[in-house]
Amino acid sequence: MGIQFKEVNFSYTGVQKGFYEAIKDISLTIQDKDELITLVGQTGSGKSTLAQHMNALVFPTSGSVEIFGKLVTAKRNRKIKYNEIRQKVGLVFQFPEYQLFEETVEKDIMFGPLNFHVPEIEAKELAKKALRMVGLSESYLNRNPFNLSGGEKKRVSIAGILALDPQILVLDEPTSGLDPRGKRQLMNLFKSIQMETGKTIIVITHDMDLVYEYATRVLVLNAGCLVFDGTPDSLFKKPSLSEFHLDYPATIRVLREINERFHTQIDIYQKTVSDATIAIKRGFKS
Amino acid sequence: MKNIIIGQYIPGTGFLYKLDPRTKIIAVLILMVAVFLLKSITQLMIAFGIAIIILIIGKISIVRVARGLKPIFILLVFTFVFQIFFNKEGTVWVDETLTFSLVSLIVLVAWTIVWRLLTKLKKFKMMLFFLYIAGVYLILRYLTYGTIFSTFNFVVHEKGVEMSIFVVIRLLIIITLSTVLTLTTKPTDLTQGIEKLMRPLKYIGISSDDFALIISISLRYIPTILDEANKIMLAQASRGADIAEGKLKDKIKQIISLLVPMFIIAFKRSEDLADAMESRNFVPGRERTRIYDLHFGLLDLMVALMTIGLLTGSIMARVLWIG
Repeated sequence: MGIQFKEVNFSYTGVQKGFYEAIKDISLTIQDKDELITLVGQTGSGKSTLAQHMNALVFPTSGSVEIFGKLVTAKRNRKIKYNEIRQKVGLVFQFPEYQLFEETVEKDIMFGPLNFHVPEIEAKELAKKALRMVGLSESYLNRNPFNLSGGEKKRVSIAGILALDPQILVLDEPTSGLDPRGKRQLMNLFKSIQMETGKTIIVITHDMDLVYEYATRVLVLNAGCLVFDGTPDSLFKKPSLSEFHLDYPATIRVLREINERFHTQIDIYQKTVSDATIAIKRGFKS
Repeated sequence: MKNIIIGQYIPGTGFLYKLDPRTKIIAVLILMVAVFLLKSITQLMIAFGIAIIILIIGKISIVRVARGLKPIFILLVFTFVFQIFFNKEGTVWVDETLTFSLVSLIVLVAWTIVWRLLTKLKKFKMMLFFLYIAGVYLILRYLTYGTIFSTFNFVVHEKGVEMSIFVVIRLLIIITLSTVLTLTTKPTDLTQGIEKLMRPLKYIGISSDDFALIISISLRYIPTILDEANKIMLAQASRGADIAEGKLKDKIKQIISLLVPMFIIAFKRSEDLADAMESRNFVPGRERTRIYDLHFGLLDLMVALMTIGLLTGSIMARVLWIG
């Protein structure tokens, strides 16, 4: 089960003859539990397009995507209820403005479950639960989503998808536009949701620190091609990331610089700032 | 969604592209008047020939223009049929009795189903349509068995046929002319041309600047808004609101879920745009200069003279009844 991409291509057809290949020949498998995957790559590398394939919002130009046993190919098959796929794989868009529309937070979160014919009372319960999961108190239930701050809106939009109880949760740049503390809070939230429920969570991000600290697996896209699929450790142990148009996390960069400047032998592969501090102390003592 | 072309401007190199938009707008208007002055099919045929020659000289693909005519194909057919049926002048050409009987109605329904199935093939659509119409005629004409519900006299007069051809050709010419205008003029140039032409209206209190600004901003934002609409649709589809699937009852709610974010984003965008314009010192109503100002050149003069020539020609034709 989970999601299997088989030689998936997707191109946007342009206004005039030309077309633009957003993703090229992608094959990969995503398990339906216990993964926290980050999807990285420079702007325009096809991250969002790939994410939209994961719950059949767009159909591949060629190749196939198998999502929880349902085969999605270039042609729309009338027998397949694509809507059901979206309940299994939830996709949160980058900007919460694209989905918030109700006058209260509660109603907005309930919109998803109600679309899948969950009874109203249960939907209310789901809304409360989802709101708690994203770390907002119940006092938010009756507030107007448009009067919330950017971070709160983002959390509400995530709750709107979480209320569907998807097996795989895909988030398109959830940390963009948030302050560093907000980013970390959100990533901790995903980590805890993943630990608690065993769901697979896929996060698109540009922040290598977050990738290094949180991810169990990294997918790197470059110009539409999947160029790396593995653990963050093996990615950042590569001598050069310039071919991927990526940078190293801050901890690695700082420790490498310290080693060069002071001719120390500190192990530069430290995931968090506190680990790095301990490593520096140890390095200078010896 | 992504393939919608706004305006039909196609970049090219013909002489029509080098013309001042004002010349083109006025020339098209004058030529339309000239076409309406014509009285006989022969004259119209000549005018149609001139239109084709303009296309060829202007290096515009005739296929392109023909494709532009597609949406109004129904209108042309409708006009044609309307004229044939309701014009009762001149000698009678056809006088047949069409019968609506049990048998003919059943065959008609079957024929329609066959036609609908065949149109799935996508090729020869136009031909199939004419075949269908011919079939309908034959069925109504010759299948007179069974209970007869009503009969209907199908009468075609000479003038009817003439008028219908006349009207259709006239429409064709006019649409070709306006297609040429939009094919060869950028929307921005077009609005600038309209703005300049509307200048005199400021004496009666209408600001052509504001008008042109409104048009160009709306044109500029149509693709952007379409893009946003697409994203909103995807975002709501991933919450189970897929417009393609689902029942009518749910669809109403789903449409609201698209409209509200759409409005909010549109308002936000317009606020941002207003701020951006103000921060670049835009003051409504104040005189502004352009980077590319319009020039009325030699080519424009020639086209203007030609246009006047054609108009004179058609006035002469009308007055002297040539053809």
